[in-house]
Amino acid sequence: MVSDLLREIRFLAKDRGALFWLALAFVLSIIAVTFGVTEVRDQQRTIAELIEEDTADRANALKGQEDWGGAAYYAFHLAYAPPSEFAFAALGQRDSSPWKHRVRMLALEGQIHQADTKNADFGLVGRFDFAFLAASVAPLLLILLLYDLRAAERTARRHDLLVATAGSSRKLWLPRALVRVLALSLLLLIPLWAASSLVGTSGSVIIQASFVLVGALGIWWLIVELISRIDASSSVLLTALIGLWLALAIIVPALAKVAIETRQPLPNGGEMLLLQRETVNDAWDLPKEMTMAAFLEEHPEWRDHAAIEQPFEWKWYYAFQQVGDLRVKPLVDQYRAARLARDHEAGMIAFLSPTSFVERSFEKLAGTDAASMIAYEDSVRDFHAQLRAFHYPMLFREEPFDRNLLEDIPGFVPSR
Amino acid sequence: MNKIFRIAKEEWRLWLRSKVIVLATLIVAVLLTTTSVLTVNRVASEQSQRLAQQVAAEETFFAQPDRHPHRMVHYGHYAFRPPPPLAAFEPGVDAVTGQSIFLEGHRQNTAMFADTKAAADLGGFASLTPASLYQLLLPLLLIVLGHALLLRERESGTLAVMLAQGQSGLSLATGKAIALLAVIAIFMLPLIVVAIHSVLRGENALTAAGLVGSYFVYLCLWGTIVLAASIILKQRAVSLGALIFIWLFAALIVPRLAINASSAAIDAPGKIESDLVMLAEQRKLGDGHNAADPAFQQLQKEVLEQYDVEKIEDLPINWRGVVASFSESELTDLLNIYAENRMEQEASQSHLFNLFGLASPAIAVGSASRSLAGTDLATHHRFLRESEALRFDFVQSLNEVHANELSYADDMNRSSDPEAERRTRVNSAAWRVLDEFRFVPDSASDRMNRAAFPFAMLILWLVLAGAATFLAARRVRV
Amino acid sequence: MTSPLEARSLSLDRDGNTVLDNVSFSVAKGEIFALLGGNGAGKSSTLLTFLGFLEPSGGAVLVNGKTVGSDVASARSAIAYLPEATSLYGHMNAYENLDYFLNLAGRSATQADYDTALDRVALPREARSRRLQFFSKGMRQKTAIALALLRETPILLLDEPTSGLDPVAIDEFHDLVKDLAGAGQTILMVTHDVYGACQVADRVGLLRRGQLVGSFAAEKGKRIDTETVHAAFAEREAV
Repeated sequence: MVSDLLREIRFLAKDRGALFWLALAFVLSIIAVTFGVTEVRDQQRTIAELIEEDTADRANALKGQEDWGGAAYYAFHLAYAPPSEFAFAALGQRDSSPWKHRVRMLALEGQIHQADTKNADFGLVGRFDFAFLAASVAPLLLILLLYDLRAAERTARRHDLLVATAGSSRKLWLPRALVRVLALSLLLLIPLWAASSLVGTSGSVIIQASFVLVGALGIWWLIVELISRIDASSSVLLTALIGLWLALAIIVPALAKVAIETRQPLPNGGEMLLLQRETVNDAWDLPKEMTMAAFLEEHPEWRDHAAIEQPFEWKWYYAFQQVGDLRVKPLVDQYRAARLARDHEAGMIAFLSPTSFVERSFEKLAGTDAASMIAYEDSVRDFHAQLRAFHYPMLFREEPFDRNLLEDIPGFVPSR
Repeated sequence: MNKIFRIAKEEWRLWLRSKVIVLATLIVAVLLTTTSVLTVNRVASEQSQRLAQQVAAEETFFAQPDRHPHRMVHYGHYAFRPPPPLAAFEPGVDAVTGQSIFLEGHRQNTAMFADTKAAADLGGFASLTPASLYQLLLPLLLIVLGHALLLRERESGTLAVMLAQGQSGLSLATGKAIALLAVIAIFMLPLIVVAIHSVLRGENALTAAGLVGSYFVYLCLWGTIVLAASIILKQRAVSLGALIFIWLFAALIVPRLAINASSAAIDAPGKIESDLVMLAEQRKLGDGHNAADPAFQQLQKEVLEQYDVEKIEDLPINWRGVVASFSESELTDLLNIYAENRMEQEASQSHLFNLFGLASPAIAVGSASRSLAGTDLATHHRFLRESEALRFDFVQSLNEVHANELSYADDMNRSSDPEAERRTRVNSAAWRVLDEFRFVPDSASDRMNRAAFPFAMLILWLVLAGAATFLAARRVRV
Repeated sequence: MTSPLEARSLSLDRDGNTVLDNVSFSVAKGEIFALLGGNGAGKSSTLLTFLGFLEPSGGAVLVNGKTVGSDVASARSAIAYLPEATSLYGHMNAYENLDYFLNLAGRSATQADYDTALDRVALPREARSRRLQFFSKGMRQKTAIALALLRETPILLLDEPTSGLDPVAIDEFHDLVKDLAGAGQTILMVTHDVYGACQVADRVGLLRRGQLVGSFAAEKGKRIDTETVHAAFAEREAV
C-alpha cells in the first residue's frame, strides 16, 4: 500500500491540472484563515476599546448621581460575547446576531433586541471564512480533482491496460483517489493548523474540526466514486456531480430552511416589543398598587417595602419596568424556544447536506452557532437580573445613597 | 443567414435529444418558477402586513389617553418599511436589516428583528430568491448546455467538413450564439412575468425594464463566455472544468472575498462604539431631563432676556419644555453626525464592494438588481434617515406642547403633588401632531442612477467577452 | 501439462449480441497463436475475457489451468497485455512511464533494467528522456513492449500489435516476438493482418462472427502458407 501511495504521489506531482486545483485550495485556505484571524483581532480590539470607554462613561454618569434610582438609570453596562479562539475559522452568526449590548436597569426587552450588527451587505453576501471554504468550495474542488480519474483514462484508451497491469481496480483507483483526497485535506488544513497555533486554539477543537473536514471530504469522495462508476463521458459525469453538489449544498438547505421556518413560526417581534412598551407606559396611568401587586408576585420578598406614597418613586419605576418584562415573558420564551427549535431541526436536516453539516459543526466548535448566540443573550439576561438583584435592596429598603457601594455593582463577565 | 439559423436549429435538436440537458433544464425551470411564486406571495403578504402594522402603530399612538407630553416622547412610535414591489424578485438586504424601528425621545434605535437573526442556520447560502437563482444557477445551466457548443463539431470531425464547405468560423459561432440566446430568452420569461406583476402593483415600468435588461445582459455575458470557451478550448472536459472554475470564482469566491476585503479596508464602527464616543460629547451638552444642568445656563440667559423676565418661574412658557426641546435638538444634531458618519462608512464599504464587480459580473448584476428593486443598502439608509426625521418631528412637536401648555410650577411639583401631576396631563387630541409615515421606494430616476455604474460594468464585461469571442471565432481552424 | 492459455467452449454476450460462440482453443508454452479475423469478429473481446474484463456467458477461459473468473488478479499478474493503439502517459517520459506501470504491477526495476529493455526494443537512447506526447506511434509501441518485457510474465497478449507501424518496425517487432516465444513466453495475438500472422505465428485460428472456423499450423521449419490462409479468410468472410 505504501508503495502504491508513493507511486501515486509521484504521479500526482506530474499532473498539472490536479496541481492547479490543489494550489488553489491552499491559497484560498490561507486567504480565508488570514481574513478570519484579522476579523477576530478586530473584534477583540473593539471589545477592549468598548470596555475602556464603557467604564469611563459609567464613572462619568455615576459622578453626579445622588440617589440609587438615578445611578441605576444613568449607568449603562457593556455586555459582550468575545470571539472564541476558533472563531476565526467560522464567524457564523456573529455577522447576523448582535454580540455586544449596553444595558441598564430599565426593562430589558426594550434593550436586548437592539442589533448592533455590521453593514447589511455583509450579512447578505456572507464572508469567505474557512467554514465556507471547507463546506462549499472544497467539495467542488474535490469533484474537479476526482470526477474524471476513470473517464479520462477511458478516453485516452488507457483504462484496460492500467487495470490489467494493476491486477485489480482497487489497487489503482483507491490510492490514486486517496492521494488526491489527502492532499486536498492537508492543503486546506495546514493554514488552519498554522493559524490555530498562532491564536492558541485548543487541540481538541482542532482535532474535531480536522475530522469534520476530512469526514465530509470522505463523503463527497464516496459520492464521486459512486457517480463515476457510471460508464459515461467526463462531461456528463461532471454535470451530474455539479448537479448533486447544487442539490446538496444549496437546494436541500434552502428548501429545508423554508420548511423549518414554516413549521416553527416565530412570534412577531414587533408585537412583542409593542406589548412590552404598552405595559411599561400604561403603568404610569394605572393605580400604583396594581403594578406593585404584579411585581410582588415575582418578588414577594419586598412585600413589606412595596408601599408607594409619592407620585414618583424609583422603586415603583423599576417595578413597572420589570412588570413590562414579565408581561412579555411568554412571548419572549416562545421566541427563544422557536429559535432553538429551528436550530435543532436545522441540525437534523444538516445530516442530509454535508455542506450544512460542515458549516454548522464549525460554527458549533467556534461558538458562533445560533445556540451560542442564544446562550450569549441568556447571559445578558442573567447579568441584567444581577443588576436588579444588586439594586432592589438599595431601592426597596431605601438605603442611604453611598457612593462607595457603587463599586460593588456587578460587572458583566463573559461566559468564555 | 439561413445557414446560421440552420446551425442554431441543429444545436437545439441535439439538446432536446440529450436526457441530461432536458432534465437539468426542467429542474432549473421548476425551481425558478416555484421560487418566483413563493417569493411573490411572501413579499405581497409582508407588504400588506407592514402597512397594516404602520397604520395600527399610528392609531395606538392617537388613542393614548391624556397624559404628560414628555411621557409620549418616551412612549414612542414605530416606523415600518414595507418591501417595494420588485422585492418579489430581489428581496435584497431586507432580510438582514430588519424592517421595523422603534422611535423614541433622546435615542436613535436600530432596526430590529432581522429575519436572518432567527433563521434556521443551514450554512453559507442565503435562502433561495429568484434573483439568486438568476445570479448563480442560470449561468451554471448555460455552462452545462454550451460548454461544447463549437467543441463538439471539432471532436466529431464535422468542423473540418463545415469549414471545407465554405462556412466561416464566425457564422458557425453566430449560429451557436443564436441557439444559446434562444435559451436565455426563454429563461428570461419568469423574470419578465414578475416584472410585469410588479408594474401592475405600482412599480415604475422603466425600473422594471431596467431589471430585466440587467439580467439579460448578465446572462448574455455568461453565454458569451461559454461560447468563447467552446471555441478556444480543445477538449470537452477541459472546457467544462474551466467554465466551472470561472463560475466558482465569479459566483462564490469573489463576492465573499470582496466582503472580507471591504470590511477589512474600511472600518465602520458599530453603533455601540460610536455611541460611546458620542456620549462623551453628549455629557458636555447636558441632560434634557434636568433643567438645572449648568450647560443650560446660557440658554436660560437668552430665554430670560427674550421674554424680559428675571426668573424662569416668571416665564409665560414652561422652562422645562424649552429645555427638552433645546436639548433634543442639540442631541439630534450630534446623533445625526454620528449616524451620518456611520452610514457614510457603510456606503463606502458597499461602494468598494461594488467595485469588485470588475472582478465578478455576479457582484455587478447583484448591485444593479438591488438598486433597481429598491432593496439596497442606500434605500435602507434612506429609511433610517426618514424615520429619524419622523422621530425628531413628533418629539419636538410634543416638546412644544410641553413648553406651551404646561405650567412650570406644576411640572416641577408633579412628582410630589398628585394634583399638580393631574394638571400636567394634556388632552390626547395633542397626540395628532404625529405625522403619517408611509415609506415609499426611491424615485425611478434615483434607482436608475444608482444602478448605472454596476450596469456599465456589466456592459463592459459583455463588450470584452464579446470581442474575445469574435476574435476567437474568426480564427477557428480545424 | 496444462496450457498457459485455454478457452473452453467460450461464449460471450455483450448488450444482447453474441460476440463469441462456443470457441475452444489452447496455447502451449512458448507457442505463438494468432487469432485472425475481420472487424467485429470478436478478437479483442477474446483477449478482454482472458484479462477478466468480460465475463463469459458460457464455457470458461483458463490461465495456467485456473478459471479466470475465480481469481482475476492472479490471471492478470501472469499476463502482460499490449492493447491496440497503446497509449502510455503523454506527460511522462519513457523511464517515468515504465517506472509507473511496473510499480503498478507490483514490481521494481533499476535504471539499467529499463535501458536493457529499451535496448531490446531498439528505442533510441536520446528519446528515452523525452515525454511520450512527442513520440511517434512506433516509438510509443516500443515503449509499451519494453514494459511487457520488464514485467517478465509467462504470457503475452497482443491486440493488433503492428497496426500503424512502418514495415521496418513490423519486421523488428516480429523478430522480437519470436525471440520471446523462443525464451518460453506464451503469446496470443489477435490481428486482421493475414501476412503478419502467417509470418510470426506457430498457429493461426480464423475467427468469424464469434466462431472459430479454421485453424492452420506451421509445419516444422516452415512458415504457414499465406496464400492458403488468405483464401480461407476471404472465402469465409464472403459468406
